[in-house]
Amino acid sequence: MSGVYIFSDKNDIAAEIIGFAKSAGKDAILLVFDEQTAKVMGNSGADKIYLVNGESELVESYARSIAQLLREEGAELFAVGATPRGRDLAARVAGYLNCGMASDVSTLSCGDGQWLTQRIIYGGAVQQTEVLEGLAVVTIPGGKFEPVSGTGEMVNITLAADRRISLEETMPIGHQGADLSAAEKVVCVGMGLEKEEDMQLAKDLAAALGAEIGCTRGIAEERYWLPAERYIGISGAVIKPKLYISMGVSGQVQHVVGIRDSQVIVGIDINEKAPIFAAADYGIVGDMYEVVPLLIKALSE
Amino acid sequence: MARIVACYKWVVDEADIRINPDRSVDLSKAKKKISDYDKCAIEAAVQTATAIGGKAVGLTFGTADARQSLKDALSRGLEEVYYINAEEAAQADGAATANALAAAIKKMEEVNLVICAEGASDTYQRQTAPRIGAVLDWPVATSVSKLEVTGNTLTAVRKLDDCLQTVKVELPAVVSVLPEINNPPIPTLKAVLAAGKKPVKEFSAGELNADLVPKTRVADLQGYVMSRKNLIFKDGEAVDQVKELVAALKKEGVI
Repeated sequence: MSGVYIFSDKNDIAAEIIGFAKSAGKDAILLVFDEQTAKVMGNSGADKIYLVNGESELVESYARSIAQLLREEGAELFAVGATPRGRDLAARVAGYLNCGMASDVSTLSCGDGQWLTQRIIYGGAVQQTEVLEGLAVVTIPGGKFEPVSGTGEMVNITLAADRRISLEETMPIGHQGADLSAAEKVVCVGMGLEKEEDMQLAKDLAAALGAEIGCTRGIAEERYWLPAERYIGISGAVIKPKLYISMGVSGQVQHVVGIRDSQVIVGIDINEKAPIFAAADYGIVGDMYEVVPLLIKALSE
Repeated sequence: MARIVACYKWVVDEADIRINPDRSVDLSKAKKKISDYDKCAIEAAVQTATAIGGKAVGLTFGTADARQSLKDALSRGLEEVYYINAEEAAQADGAATANALAAAIKKMEEVNLVICAEGASDTYQRQTAPRIGAVLDWPVATSVSKLEVTGNTLTAVRKLDDCLQTVKVELPAVVSVLPEINNPPIPTLKAVLAAGKKPVKEFSAGELNADLVPKTRVADLQGYVMSRKNLIFKDGEAVDQVKELVAALKKEGVI
């Protein structure tokens, strides 16, 4: 059947995309790869749920078969949750179909045989509007659409997988402390920090606030002062805390993309012209080695 | 000799982009650079080629001005660079880019691994590696934080949002690497001087016989405006600045 074909390894994003398809007046066809997910998603408003059976544990390995399925069914759109697995599968399907694709879109709407998308480029400086004609692929992050409810038919389907790649081992990621993307408050350190010992200052501020510590890419990947999962930005963590306070962060666009959904942004930096201040609600232009200890003291009072 | 191909893109330095008051985008003063993340892809290719006794080569799809990138790419340890010089690159989307790169890879001999970055620092679409894999019908591993080639097999560690996966992939294959995979060194003066003598192989669009027609159409580009309060305390004593900040944050209800 024609309509919007949907996949996400995150059920809440899948449910939101189903909501989008229904609001656009399209049939929503969901692909799932295990019975548990099929059951959980049973009342999510999908008109049809394909439960895919196959020989691989890696969903990305089904790209070629999924592309063929979409073509045979006359699909209008393959809409995929923007997670690492989803982006990989989506782009491979687009490659097999030789069709248009918009990645990590911030908006998606349906026109006359067209899909209109918006996304951020140039590290966050520019918003690009794109038009996709005919069968196309998009990836969508969570939180863009409202889920709906309703049941549809469930169909078992067997698809061929690429067997040239196999899963050897899966290990959970050992997060040191809480997940940054779920943190309510984040203290972020940037390259303005002079010595590794000065991390203590950030730790003290974080303790006074009850915040998690994050950093810019340079701190994690050039200086190795914090693990890679602590860096915030376009290629790192994307956070949405109530409060974000940066110390010695200049505010390069790649970093700002990772913090733009924060409720309140505070920048502390010695350089008045640092771009962080344009992205901030509140800022202090000053030496963080003077300002931060005073801030810790004020917060503790 | 087995070739390890690093794909890279010559991009506008986003730090030089100016947004006009009407939100139109001014790229006229922007310098260009090899996409930051692609430097990690190049370094990964060089390291892998060294480990297996292969040859690390670069591949780029760009307009005439991408010629300026060749020396920089070659100074990073690549032995040669393949340059698809085509005006179509200016309007290329993910489909056209992958079609061009895949067509060039098909023309090279003994390619056993193609390494891309996750995304380019200008568009950050994260499509190129999986799309090249699809066009060539080669297996793909994305989000790779560690890779090792033994014989005809690649072992890669993929860093996903919820776990680390170790996968084994039959070569030839395409991978995309995360920036944390390595820390590309700054080229030495000797490497920069040697780069001028290294070979460059140029392809024209016609030679490749690839579909370079974009499937997506850019309808509009606008400067992104973040509306924030921008209350910056820049004068007076630090102790008073801090007092004002704390009062403001209390009022916001975030502390």
